[in-house]
Amino acid sequence: MIVAKVGNHVKSVRGNADHPFTKGRLCVKVNNYQDRVNNPDRILYPLRRSGPKGSGEFQRIGWDEAITEIATRWKNIVATSGPQAILPYSYLGTQGILNGLSVGDAFFNKLGASISERTFCDSGACTAYTMTIGHTAGVDPESFVHSRYIVLWACNTLSTNSHHWPFIEEARKRGAKIVVIDPFRTRTARLADLHVPIRPGTDGALALGIIHVLFRDGLVDADYVARYTIGADELAERAAEYTPEVVAEITGLSPELIVELATGIATSQPSVIRIGVAIERQSGGGQAVRAISCIPALVGSWRKPGGGLLQLPLWAFPVNWGTFLRPDFIGPNPRVINQWKLGEVLTGEMPLDPPIRSLMVYNANPMAMSPEQARIARGLLREDLFTVVSEHFLTDTARYADIVLPATTQVEQEDIMFSWGHFYLSYNNRAIPPMGEAVPNTELFRRLAKAMGFDDPCFSRTDEEQIAEAMLWDAPQLQGITLERLKRDGFARLNLPPADEYAPHAEGNFATPSGKCEFKASMAADGNFVLGLFRQGYDGQQSGEPVDALPHFIAPQESPTTNPELAARFPLSLITPKNHAFLSSSFGNLPHQRRHAGMEQPVILHPADAAKYGITAGDRVRIHNDRGAFKALAQVTEDIREGVVVAPVGYWASLSEGGASVHAVTSSRYADMGCAPTFSDNLVAVERC
Amino acid sequence: MAYVVTDNCADCRFTQCAAVCPVQCFHFDETMVYIDPDNCIDCAGCVDACPVGAIDDEFNLGDDQRHWIEINRQRAPLLPRLTAIMEPLPGAEARKAALGL
Repeated sequence: MIVAKVGNHVKSVRGNADHPFTKGRLCVKVNNYQDRVNNPDRILYPLRRSGPKGSGEFQRIGWDEAITEIATRWKNIVATSGPQAILPYSYLGTQGILNGLSVGDAFFNKLGASISERTFCDSGACTAYTMTIGHTAGVDPESFVHSRYIVLWACNTLSTNSHHWPFIEEARKRGAKIVVIDPFRTRTARLADLHVPIRPGTDGALALGIIHVLFRDGLVDADYVARYTIGADELAERAAEYTPEVVAEITGLSPELIVELATGIATSQPSVIRIGVAIERQSGGGQAVRAISCIPALVGSWRKPGGGLLQLPLWAFPVNWGTFLRPDFIGPNPRVINQWKLGEVLTGEMPLDPPIRSLMVYNANPMAMSPEQARIARGLLREDLFTVVSEHFLTDTARYADIVLPATTQVEQEDIMFSWGHFYLSYNNRAIPPMGEAVPNTELFRRLAKAMGFDDPCFSRTDEEQIAEAMLWDAPQLQGITLERLKRDGFARLNLPPADEYAPHAEGNFATPSGKCEFKASMAADGNFVLGLFRQGYDGQQSGEPVDALPHFIAPQESPTTNPELAARFPLSLITPKNHAFLSSSFGNLPHQRRHAGMEQPVILHPADAAKYGITAGDRVRIHNDRGAFKALAQVTEDIREGVVVAPVGYWASLSEGGASVHAVTSSRYADMGCAPTFSDNLVAVERC
Repeated sequence: MAYVVTDNCADCRFTQCAAVCPVQCFHFDETMVYIDPDNCIDCAGCVDACPVGAIDDEFNLGDDQRHWIEINRQRAPLLPRLTAIMEPLPGAEARKAALGL
């Protein structure tokens, strides 16, 4: 992103035409980032609550006063209840290796607070992927131009990864076929050559059905499988029961389509599968990713550039995580709290000793993005809970805070960034000084550490010093890249082979215990786990539930076939994709993005369902189940399967009629692996208001 | 919601937009190009690429320009897709100059 400014005023932003991946384009989410920076609703000074909790009434205070109050309250809590009564809550609302995922981890590990287990995004898929092929960047997104058969599985590329699309389109020009597997005919599915409208929560069955056909029809690359995989015989035996007919019954697809997919993936080499985060958000999401991760090795697509699997390029970046996480600060008996459980954690419905007495939220907005919204609100209303929120805006969560602290936007801070979507390391130059009294998260935690009396040198490091230590500069991927060059150019491709040659697993070399693609996963013996990266660097106290070492299908817990009693009351399956114009709930308050998204929360129904419940397009409807309710404007289209409704997330409850949004009805139940959520596994009823 | 081509394109048709549009949502006739609003992903890449400033977010259009929203919506689906840059129309440079650009 290139920032145009007059003095210290950001006038506009634009893409960098020299960037080989973004090619000068931004996207609808950040095209007008200046409106976020300059927004009159920005929080620019520390605030203390002056009205009842949740009222949004605040008075300006000074930074010294705010920090002193927080430190005094926390020291008192530590003395009377112990530090585990304090809980950090954060994710990636602010991006960057310094200011993003891990910015508070060293501080809270030193404090001895409850450890925040953040399984918001791809944790389940990461656990499954790690078990099967290990920490690998997978296919270079730019190598897709060489792919002959591209499967976008649970991924709405044009809304959430739009810079990848030209590489996919180039592949199509060279003869590739583009397939989208999604219950909803998204804008990406509309542009695909084949849309596979799968029933929500059944992707694992489809993957096993594809594997069945590969073995049955002799489509397996026997040489690749013999050299670079383990467990093929057991996998074939497991897949035997998933005939196209059985899988068709489960997925709502035709047997012929399942055979077509298997044949396409096997015979149009190199074939590639791109999985989106949505894949894990179902009860069997982990095992679905296990099964999908087996497919490229079965058909030998890893042999050539553009063949294999793409999940997260994150793994290509040699980040020096340890310097930010500081797991060495963690005491002998820490307590881990998963962030999806915030509602029951705060209300006390989850028994905790000590109970949580203080919550600090940064880079996150759980009232908008975490499940069981009404329960979270009930917890945040507790008079004895001391809540601190660092934010840009008075979000649905910040409204409940006792102290709100002003945070800088990306253009007001310096950082270094890995990527979720390409192989370029990026540098976030600071374009303007912080507005008002806003501070970067790094500075926030320097101030808190000083007030809490933490004297470890890591707590006084400047941003410049942190940037210098942010990467493992000796790693081969960084050879030839200097900080000076990075700061000047803004980006640098990792020192990996060019996309035209990059085939990291042409000869196996998987980062698994065996070095092979493990159809039968040896890591399953230790049971379920969450990667330490998502738990402030802590690897202990894993849940360890048994994990079948072979992929299998786990049915949705809330579906008409598996739970007919619930479906009798709540007959429709809800899916909650990301909004085209928002980034989770970020930008959900900005006029430009809301106009593009639609000013009001929509819910999308099939015409048959609309007719059944007496709903016409434009009706105001109520979507509800036993967990809660929210209101939406009905859209009626055949783009969604009958029996399924779509409600994109990101709208703010405080800006919505009825004061609730999509997560009022979602469950905090985990998927099978990595404590992923089950947001695609929710039954609801829809009625006219 | 989408971006919209307006009258500055008429009789110019420089078509640099075609090089940046990731979803090929431009369509053309003998005088100008149009955006298919159902396929536009609102990336704004074309706005800076257009040498005559003909393209904008539909929400930014003044009252005298808003009729172009419907013209784009009506025309684009009826016309061939623009898949690559074409030669500008004869007189495009003169028209650009006349526009003060």
